[in-house]
Amino acid sequence: MGVEIMDRKIRVLAALPGIDSHDKGMVVICNALREAGVEVIYLGKFNMPEKIVRSAIEEDVDVIALSYLSDHLYMVFFPKVVELLKQNKADDICVVVGGRIADEHLNELKARGISGFFTQGAPLKDIVNHIIERANSRKKD
Amino acid sequence: MSGKEKTEISRRFEGCPYTETSAGIPLKSFYTPDDVGDFDYQRDVRDPGEYPYTRGLFRDMYRGKLWARRVFTGIGSGTDTNKRYKFLIDRGATGLFLFPDQPSMLGIDPDHPIAEGYSGVSGTSWVCLKDMYEIFDGISLEEISFSTNFSTMATPVFYSGLVACARDLGFDLAKISGSMINEPIYMSVCVYDINEQPVDPFDIATKLSTDAIEYSIKNTPKWHPLAPNPYGFHEKGANAIQEIGFQLSIMLEYVELLLKRGFKIDEFAPRMNVIGCACDMDFFEEVAKFRAARRVWAKLMKDRFGAKDPRSWRLYISVHTSGHSLTVAQPVNNIVRITMESLACVFGGLQSFDPAGYEEGYCTLTKNSALTSMNIHHILGYESRVAAVADPLAGSYFVESLTNEMEKRIFDIINKIDGLGGAIKAIESGWLRNEIDKEALREQSELDKKERIVVGLNEFVVPKEEEVPIELGRDRPLEEQMETSQRRTEEIKELKKTRNIQKTKDLLEKLYNVAGKDKQINTIPYIIDSLRADATLGEIMGVIREANGYSYDPFEMIENPFK
Repeated sequence: MGVEIMDRKIRVLAALPGIDSHDKGMVVICNALREAGVEVIYLGKFNMPEKIVRSAIEEDVDVIALSYLSDHLYMVFFPKVVELLKQNKADDICVVVGGRIADEHLNELKARGISGFFTQGAPLKDIVNHIIERANSRKKD
Repeated sequence: MSGKEKTEISRRFEGCPYTETSAGIPLKSFYTPDDVGDFDYQRDVRDPGEYPYTRGLFRDMYRGKLWARRVFTGIGSGTDTNKRYKFLIDRGATGLFLFPDQPSMLGIDPDHPIAEGYSGVSGTSWVCLKDMYEIFDGISLEEISFSTNFSTMATPVFYSGLVACARDLGFDLAKISGSMINEPIYMSVCVYDINEQPVDPFDIATKLSTDAIEYSIKNTPKWHPLAPNPYGFHEKGANAIQEIGFQLSIMLEYVELLLKRGFKIDEFAPRMNVIGCACDMDFFEEVAKFRAARRVWAKLMKDRFGAKDPRSWRLYISVHTSGHSLTVAQPVNNIVRITMESLACVFGGLQSFDPAGYEEGYCTLTKNSALTSMNIHHILGYESRVAAVADPLAGSYFVESLTNEMEKRIFDIINKIDGLGGAIKAIESGWLRNEIDKEALREQSELDKKERIVVGLNEFVVPKEEEVPIELGRDRPLEEQMETSQRRTEEIKELKKTRNIQKTKDLLEKLYNVAGKDKQINTIPYIIDSLRADATLGEIMGVIREANGYSYDPFEMIENPFK
């Protein structure tokens, strides 16, 4: 599976939404993605969905990768990102999430086209492969 | 099972798989006197309470005084926190701990748009002086040591509130003891990224931190006003050697700064020598880390800076074991981990530690895990007899050899950073964060390859339904979370409406007039006055930002309401 789509590298925007500051996992994933040849734009901490979506569109990314490890506010932020992508007719950008996500929320998030749900113990290659797979599936759409 | 069917016995784990420590120091299968070749007890180790303090800071160690027994607390409102404190004091706590919620940590009020849903959720919401009265209602600040994990530019404001509250409640400030994380260089790596998110501008953070330190030296002499927190480095990925090496290098920056201002080393070193570390699962490496860290600090102070007062040579180490080492799967196993880590703290001769909660993968500590953590203190301190003899591992060929090696490698890092122009330069260039990130990636790769085993995570995994049952707290459901935060927001809105607005405005204006860093006026008395006039954390931070040429709001979403 290639890391290039139509002669350019896969581009991923990675961010922590809200004011959660557990960024270790996301930093590790960004570095693993870069090692796999993916271009990563890392927004860091403290991002509201509006900024995430605006940046994703400006940077012309294939995938938005979000991590959240604090409380249940991801149930506000993740759907909001999907909704804003739709509003901006950019819902071909895939949303992949990870962190600490409660089982009872999985179905609702999946129904919105969100995937991933990687949690503590997920091997890096699974995460990287999943992101590349989703980026490639976008090519076919 | 019948006939030839047999349960397959794993051969993979016949022997211990490790040949090096978690930081990469090679491990032999046994150690002999050759491994501590020129070992000289009087030079390298000496008795507890003697330079270079390898064996601990005091001669009688835990017989004289056990470590301060704290448990992580960060819960809802001031009243909720007070209730938990009383619960813990009733069960033997000798120290209290406060973890703020995320908006308080960032110095914004609950009614800030980015704080929606966060107030009083994963920590205590601290916004105004009234909260401080609630937190300490009925608790003697003279008798219990207090430590807070506020670790941003908001720390000096919280400290001002503590001073105001202690005074108002009639306590002698000279008897208030404890510590706060008030170290901006560390913050610029661990709380926000200096090259990424300007939430706490470095220049104001440094100015405020220095104000609080100066005020504390004069007014709260038993308080530790700097207390760096290398725990943050560890939890971001730094190994045990880096954790100590990075933090001590940062402390050298402060030493140089204060020396340049004309202070003598022995005037300030005894108040800046507390660090808050992690204690992870590599048991002997952690014990050696604590022994080596004390020795490195003592040598730096004595040899490099010529400190003569033994109090300057002593490094106090406090620990919150390690949230990072705990698992979401099979949470009952976390009690075993936390106990092992706590035992390493005792063998390492620490002055205080708080055992993490077994629920840390699920939520901040409930009463159940807080009580369990409290009892880990008691079982180690009163039941097991491990505290009766100081530094019981001294003289072990292995532990002394590992301590020597840790010391050497910590000095290597400090020398490396010296060569890069000091810790601030090493951070600004991105070098330090890059070193941490590389180590985090190495750790994850080892986990993926199962070269590093975590039970229930990458080996010995059992299906959820087979996990040993244990009662777990859990985060509030989203609706309840939003309600909690909303209630808190309304409370603060109400305060902002019902206070003497003119008075608040006047005192914030006074603060504004002195808070510019070029004015070189200590802001703490003005922050105290503002708090007394019911100004909030977010307003105080905003005014200080404006006085230094920054936007009122770090997120540029709201304006100064008094303009």
